[in-house]
Amino acid sequence: MLRKLTPYFFVAPLMIFIAVFTYVPILTSLNLSLRQWNFLTPDMPFVGLRNYEELFASADFWNSLWVTTLFAVFSVPLRLGAALAIASWLVRETLPARLLRGALFLPSVTSTVSIAVVFSWVFSTDYGMVNAVLATLGLGRPQWLQDPHLALWVLILVNTWKQIGYDIVIYIAGLQAIPQELYDAAAVDGGRRFHVFRRVTMPLVMPTTYFLLVISVIEAFQVFTIVNVMTRGGPAGATDMLVNLLYEIGFELFDIGRGSALAVILFVLLVALAILKSRIIGRKVHYEA
Amino acid sequence: MKPENPILTMLSLAAGLLFLAPVLYSVWMSFQTADAFYAGRVSFTLDNYERAITQFSFARYLINSLIVSGLVTVLGITVATLAAFAFARFRFPGGDLMFGATVATLMIPSHISLIPNYLTLAKAGLLDTYAGLILPAISNGFAAFFLRQYIRGIPKALDEAAYMDGATHLQVLWRIIVPLSKPAISSMALYIFITEWNNYIWPLVAVGKQDLYTLQIGLARLYRINPGEGLIDWPLVMAASTITILPVLVGFLAVERHLVRGITMGAVK
Repeated sequence: MLRKLTPYFFVAPLMIFIAVFTYVPILTSLNLSLRQWNFLTPDMPFVGLRNYEELFASADFWNSLWVTTLFAVFSVPLRLGAALAIASWLVRETLPARLLRGALFLPSVTSTVSIAVVFSWVFSTDYGMVNAVLATLGLGRPQWLQDPHLALWVLILVNTWKQIGYDIVIYIAGLQAIPQELYDAAAVDGGRRFHVFRRVTMPLVMPTTYFLLVISVIEAFQVFTIVNVMTRGGPAGATDMLVNLLYEIGFELFDIGRGSALAVILFVLLVALAILKSRIIGRKVHYEA
Repeated sequence: MKPENPILTMLSLAAGLLFLAPVLYSVWMSFQTADAFYAGRVSFTLDNYERAITQFSFARYLINSLIVSGLVTVLGITVATLAAFAFARFRFPGGDLMFGATVATLMIPSHISLIPNYLTLAKAGLLDTYAGLILPAISNGFAAFFLRQYIRGIPKALDEAAYMDGATHLQVLWRIIVPLSKPAISSMALYIFITEWNNYIWPLVAVGKQDLYTLQIGLARLYRINPGEGLIDWPLVMAASTITILPVLVGFLAVERHLVRGITMGAVK
């Protein structure tokens, strides 16, 4: 009898932690999203779908969804395009390629708060690195993080700078999996470099591209730290991405019902994307076979 | 590694330095006096570090970060390894379902649990404690999945030989599986440590007491306390930022290859 229970003892700690901190919270969020509560009152009346209705009627929610979509639409192609170009050069096992790979990868393991603070300085109006260069060239001093038209672009740039090393590493792994014979064959056929890239490399790293595409979209929908440190969602909501709005509603306004409703919406969005991702990984296996 | 054109090596090095220029410059700035920095002169001082450590409690934050990330890593790896061993070596009713539930956590965004976990820990009286920072971070579905895949690659004959000699399951795990999984365990440990070290949103909501700030919270507060842009003491902030980056950077440089291998194994396979 005890022998049969053995595996359960081994998995029990993990299962308990996953249940308490991952699965039960999904149900709790669903429940709270149908209630009105502010942490303080003793009871939390059931209000049906009112929190969702209020969200869908609020300009903040649509602004946030729009800003997050903009962020994803511009940052993802920028990351992937640049990463593939750099990776196809750095795929070689030479000393300079390895040095550069290390340098490009470093930001992805560095503290996001530190990066956000450092780039707040880089783009600060009066003392920043960027404006020092621009002023020398006589191009003026834009107020990068205080200008609603510029702030989001700065965040996209900072996020790209931080994440691109990861994309490059993944692309390099994808490129290394392409059989050398295909390149040899293309060379025999006298293919030019760009042509080989388009006809051999691009299609064969497509599964890697799909993978990176989906995880970077999912990441874009979860960006919080750089927003919280660099702009607090401002100026005038121009960088108020979804998780930042969730934090504001839940932990600054203490509107637990509405915050939970937003969490549920975000959850549904991201799980849909994640399922898309697993479909794509399934296709990749098929692709290789 | 092939020998390479030295000019290309120099150019690559320069490109890498240019890419890292913001961070490199921030480290340089942390050794400047504020007066000299704003006047555009060059100076050298350790004063910013001294103030960050003593006046602004960064020694305390550093210790908190080490405690929290260290314990999350040790507990997280232990819990993941135990489960991975069972998933890899036993067939038992509900096993596939539990493994599925473990892998599915990779798709679940952490923000859905932000408010509920806050309430759970508040009810348990664990907000503003180390336990409150650590407990929600212990389960790591990715580590459990990764280690299970790795353990499945270890020949079962080794376990069986040990069982013949009368070893218990725990002995097999500890004497055979763990030593042979060392590369996988160490890259996962590093991955968990770095992720937890850089964790921001959870300590932000779970901790109000300054004594329990991690480096990330301390740094964000130090930067945010400064009211107007012109008044920010950038050299001080950069010293604090350097303290925040450094431990992970040193660890990363020591084991870069392991980490990169772990990441690509997880992503591409």
